[in-house]
Amino acid sequence: METLKNAFDFSDFPRSDLVVAGVLALALAAFPFLSPSSFAMATMIQFFMFSIYGMGWNTIGGYGGQVDLGKAQYVGIGAYTTAVMLIRWDIPFWVSMPVGMCLSVMWSFIIGYPLFRLKGHYFAIATIATSLVLKDLFEVWDFVGAARGLEISPIKYHPPDFLRLIFRDDIYYYYIIFAFFLAGIVYINWFRKSRLGFQLRSIKDNEEVARSLGINVHWAKIKTYAIATAFVSVAGSFHACYIKNIEPEDTMSLDISILIALMAMLGGAGSLWGPIIGAGILIPLKSYLKEWLGARAGLVGIDLIIYALIIMVISAKEPRGIWGIVERVRRRKRRR
Amino acid sequence: MKILEVQHLVKEFGGLRANDDISFSLEKEELTGVIGPNGAGKTTLFNCIAGLHPVTSGRIFFDGRDITALKAHEVARLGLARTFQVYTAAGDLNVEENVMVGCFMRTASRTEARRRARRILAELNLEEHADALVSELPVAAQKQVTMATALGTAPKLLLLDEVAAGLNPSEIDQIMDTIRHLHHDLGITIVLIEHVMALVMNVCQRLVVLDYGKKIADGGPEDIADNPQVIKAYLGERYVAEHTGELS
Repeated sequence: METLKNAFDFSDFPRSDLVVAGVLALALAAFPFLSPSSFAMATMIQFFMFSIYGMGWNTIGGYGGQVDLGKAQYVGIGAYTTAVMLIRWDIPFWVSMPVGMCLSVMWSFIIGYPLFRLKGHYFAIATIATSLVLKDLFEVWDFVGAARGLEISPIKYHPPDFLRLIFRDDIYYYYIIFAFFLAGIVYINWFRKSRLGFQLRSIKDNEEVARSLGINVHWAKIKTYAIATAFVSVAGSFHACYIKNIEPEDTMSLDISILIALMAMLGGAGSLWGPIIGAGILIPLKSYLKEWLGARAGLVGIDLIIYALIIMVISAKEPRGIWGIVERVRRRKRRR
Repeated sequence: MKILEVQHLVKEFGGLRANDDISFSLEKEELTGVIGPNGAGKTTLFNCIAGLHPVTSGRIFFDGRDITALKAHEVARLGLARTFQVYTAAGDLNVEENVMVGCFMRTASRTEARRRARRILAELNLEEHADALVSELPVAAQKQVTMATALGTAPKLLLLDEVAAGLNPSEIDQIMDTIRHLHHDLGITIVLIEHVMALVMNVCQRLVVLDYGKKIADGGPEDIADNPQVIKAYLGERYVAEHTGELS
C-alpha cells in the first residue's frame, strides 16, 4: 500500500512541472485524433519505445552512474522471444512478453555478475562486447532465422488481435505503448525514492562510503541492472509485434545501445524526466533527418555526426543533461 | 565488556607495512582517540577494522564476533559505522536524503527511513539544513551531516576520521559538543582519528598513538602528553635530546 502511494507521489516536483507534464500527457493522449501522418505516428511510437528503453537505462546508468552501452542485447532478447514464440507456437504477446523479460533478466544476472567487477570505462566497453557477441550468435543461429531474421506475417492473423498484438492500424500500437510508457514513469517514480534508488545514488557518488553504510554494492548494481533489463526487454517484445520483421542488425546493433544511453544523458541521466526529454528530442530528429537527408548520397551517416556532437557538448557543458540545466537554474533562483 | 578487539593487526601495501602488529581493545562506551603523525597508518587502521581493506594478518573482533574476513557492508550491518576524512555525501541528494541512505540499512520503508533521518537531524541540530544540498553547507555542517549519515545505521561503534580537520575554533567546539552528545547521551562507543589536539585532549578518555605503523603508546591523555616516545614522534629526536639535556 505504501509502495503504491509512493509510486504515485510526485509531490517533490514543483507544481509547474506537474502542470507541464499533465498537459503533455493529455496532448500525447489526444495526438492520434489530430489526424497525424502515418510517418508522425510511427515516430511517436518510436519515441515511446525509446523512452522506455531510456527509463530502463536510467536506473543503472543514471541513478547508479554505471554507463551501460549494451542495452540493445535485451531489445534483442525481448523481441526474439516474442517473435519466436508467436511464429513457432502461436503463443500470444501477453505470455511471451513476461517470458522474454525473465530470459533477459536471467541473462543479465549471468553477465552482470562478472561485468560489475569492472568499473568506469572498462564496464562500458564490456557491456558493448557482450551485446555484440550476442548479436553475432543470433546472426548464425538458424532457430531464430540467423541473419535473415524472423517475420511475423500479419496475414495469418485477424487484426485487430489484442492477444498477439497484431494490428493494421497504428493507433492500437500507439495506445498500448503509451500505457507501458505511463506505467514505466510510475515505476521509476517509485524506484528513485526506494531503498535501492537511494543506495544507488550513494554508490554513484562513492562506493567506499556506500559500503560502509551497509550497502552490498555489487549486488545492488546487479539487481538494478536486472530492472533496467526488464524495461528494455518489454519494449523489445513490443518492437517485435509492431515492426513484425526483426533482424539482429536492427534490434541488437551498437547504434541502438548508444542511442539509448545518449538519449538519457542528453535529457538528464539520473532524473525521472531526463530519458523522456532526450527521446523527445532525438527520436524525431533521427526520423526526420533520415527522411530529409538520409536518401541523398553522402549524407547517410549524418545522424551519427550529430550524436557525436551532442555527446561532446553534454560532457563539456553539463554532464547532467538538459534536466541538469533546469535544476541548476532553479537552485540559483531559489537561493536568491 | 570489550566491544572491539584488534589482535596483532598487520596491513601491507606491497612492501610498505602501513600497520605493523597493532593490538588494542576497547571497552563499551569508551571514547578513544587514535593519534599519530601523518602517514602513521591511522586511516589504514580504520579501513582494516571497517572491512574496506583485507588485512595481511591478525584478527579483529567486534562485539564478540570475528569480523576479520567480513566485507565492509557486512561489518556495517553488525553495527560498526565510520565517517571518511574527505568529505563525502551523495551530490544530488539533499541533507535529509543523505541521512536516509544510512537509515535504509535498518529499514526498507521510506517513511520509516525519513522518520529516523529527521530524528537524527533534530538530535544534531541540523533540521534547518534538511533541504539543502550538502555541498552548499559550511564545512562544519557538512562534517556533521556525514556523522548523521553514519548515525542513520544505528551503530554501536562509530569510527570518526578527522571530523575536525579544516574547522575554525568555534566550529571545533561545536563538533566537540556533538561528539560528547553522541557519547554521553546516546551511549555510542566512539573512536576518532584527529590531529586537532584541543579536541583530542578534551574529549578522549584514552589515546592510542601510532607512528610508522606501530603502536607506540596507549593510555589516558595526561600520560600520553608526557610520554617521551610520543613527543619524539611528533617533535623529533633532536627536540627531545635538547630539552631533556636542559632538564638534566
